[in-house]
Amino acid sequence: MPRVTRRGLIGGAAAFCATQGRADATLRFALTPVILDNDADAAETLRAALAAGSGHAIELVRRRSYAEITALLLEGSVEAAWLCGYPYLQHRAELALLGVPVWRGRPRYQSYLIATAGDPARSLADLRGGIHAFSDPDSNSGWLVTASDLARIGETPDRFFARSFFTWGHRNVVRAVAAGLARSGSVDGYVWEALRQVEPDLTEATRVVARSEWLGFPPLVARRDRMTSAPVQSLQRSALQMAKTIPGRAALGALQLDGIIAAEPALYDGILARMHDLGQP
Amino acid sequence: MSPRALPLALRIPLLAVGLMVMVGFVASHQVLAALGATQTDRLREIAGLHLGALATALGPAVLRRDVWEVYDTLDRATTARVGRRMLLTVVTDEGGRVIAASDPHRAPVDTLLPADLAAAQNLDGLDLTGLELTGGGPLRVGAPLIYQGRAVGRIVSELDVSDLIAERQEALRLLIWGNTVATLLIAGAGGWAMRRMLRPLATLSRAMRGQVPVSPADLPRQTSELGRLLRLYNRMLEAVAAKAEVERRLAERERFVSLGRLSSSLAHEINNPLGGLLNATDTIRAYPDRPDVVRDAADLLDRGLRHLRDVARATLEQNRFDREGQPLAAADFEDLKLLFAPETARLGQRLDWQTPAEGDDLAWLPAAPVRQIVLNLCLNAAAAAGQGGAVGLEVVAAPDALRLSVRDDGPGMSAEALRRLLGDAPLAPGGGVGLRLVRDLVRNLGGQIAHRREDGWTVLTVQLARGGVPC
Repeated sequence: MPRVTRRGLIGGAAAFCATQGRADATLRFALTPVILDNDADAAETLRAALAAGSGHAIELVRRRSYAEITALLLEGSVEAAWLCGYPYLQHRAELALLGVPVWRGRPRYQSYLIATAGDPARSLADLRGGIHAFSDPDSNSGWLVTASDLARIGETPDRFFARSFFTWGHRNVVRAVAAGLARSGSVDGYVWEALRQVEPDLTEATRVVARSEWLGFPPLVARRDRMTSAPVQSLQRSALQMAKTIPGRAALGALQLDGIIAAEPALYDGILARMHDLGQP
Repeated sequence: MSPRALPLALRIPLLAVGLMVMVGFVASHQVLAALGATQTDRLREIAGLHLGALATALGPAVLRRDVWEVYDTLDRATTARVGRRMLLTVVTDEGGRVIAASDPHRAPVDTLLPADLAAAQNLDGLDLTGLELTGGGPLRVGAPLIYQGRAVGRIVSELDVSDLIAERQEALRLLIWGNTVATLLIAGAGGWAMRRMLRPLATLSRAMRGQVPVSPADLPRQTSELGRLLRLYNRMLEAVAAKAEVERRLAERERFVSLGRLSSSLAHEINNPLGGLLNATDTIRAYPDRPDVVRDAADLLDRGLRHLRDVARATLEQNRFDREGQPLAAADFEDLKLLFAPETARLGQRLDWQTPAEGDDLAWLPAAPVRQIVLNLCLNAAAAAGQGGAVGLEVVAAPDALRLSVRDDGPGMSAEALRRLLGDAPLAPGGGVGLRLVRDLVRNLGGQIAHRREDGWTVLTVQLARGGVPC
């Protein structure tokens, strides 16, 4: 048995108290580029709103890709995350919906197929042989929609495009297309529209070639087994009541959203159908 | 007008201006070269930092050929502060194909690097020379992209160097203006100073032209070189005047010397008739009552006295100080014969005296110098001919010239005598001045002296031409 010293006891007690203190005070909430992730003010108002609503300090956690955020969520490093519908469905056995944002009156959005402003393309088929920018391999609007559209005509991105690459953010897709780095791109319609308000120069250098059907808006999710835990409950309560609080409305205004509502998994059937088109369960 | 004809007071300032312009040009060239080197170093440092930082950041992305990662890095670097100079940055793979560029329109993904960018200078050999010719840029510079010790691609940047070019042009403009103003100021000040310094020289030049001394008011300080020069000039002028005075006195003395040399002959010339004259007076006293004897004695007295009168007159004529400006006449040669003939008689010499007729035109020549020339040469010839020798004078008058030839059958003139007569070398002390006086008088009359020796005769010919006589 290891020898217990006074210094060891004091140190262990201090470490325990600190751990307990952080666990009680701070909730970790992960953000993916489903929103304007470069807008620090919008992120800060969201953090403030969640903190005010939950009564806890909120630490926003960011990573480069959806996969990294999903991994953090699944391993329990974060209490909840604002994730895309596609990774939610990929891990729907482990994840549950906390709420879904309402944009322009409904909890849905579209994927936009965009090209450079002067490009004559009128559909996806016209973009064959060009360079295409995707957002993230786990993004619905930034990859799945276009990949599944191509699958429906018997193509894959690698064959259909001369080259495709991931920009790890919807805003980056718009930047890549606007700059001419890529001829076309797959982007979140909500992000593109939000950008049109805050960075019109960027979106004016692009043109929407095609819009997808209305699909379930990127949801706020948590681990299914933690849905009843107090931190997650407080986060859910804070999110669902955001439209009723002043900090909440400020956050929603900054994010150009109407509110956050409870949702059923059936909202994401459209995305699920596209997954099936790619042979995914 | 030849530059050498310009006055010194103008030439030296002009030379100073020329030198200033040359110095200004060289200095400007040096300044611009130094500025160019500084700019190149600065640019090399900036480009080196930029390309080096990018190469470090882009290595893994280039290795993966990650288009977005490369573009995003370039885009952020271009919009950074240092990026304002970087107009375009392109990253290629080892095959020269574009992975991404900060402006994809200029260098699209997967295309070959455009020729102008492919010709970019290497960072180590960066050279800004000639950029002015391209209108101020841009400068294209490239560097290999090294990652984990091997070249994985190349990074090429277009640098905006218009500000550096403008800075250089501004420097050039300022240098030109500055040098022009400095040159004008220095040239003006230099010209003023030079003119001031050379003013004594101009004064000296004027004084020398007028052969007058520099007035004391115009003399610079004693300590200055020019001050000493001008004082030296004044002393030299005084010395020349003193020499001229000495020469004049010598000439005067020479006239007496000539007469001195004739004095014994003249004494004989006076003494010889005196015996006859005294006899005549004795005869008159002895035979006062014989009119025929008295008349003959009176005639003898008259002839003797007249001869004495002529000798006295000729002697006086030779020494008169108021003869300056009197024109030459045939009578002058008669006077000379009267003075000279007794000398030849004393020496038992034969005299051949051939002079112009009374009516010949001699009046364009002054009498005094010609008389002195002839007398000196004749006395010299008589001395050379010695006892029982022969001397001769031949004077040929033409309308525009007069030729005097004096000959003797003596042993010939010594080298020293010829040097005195024909040369300008200074006279050795101790010798006479008669022959040198002849030379000076002939030269003053614009004439020439020739010496020849033929058939045992020494012949000296003086040629005086009308055009050579000063008015």
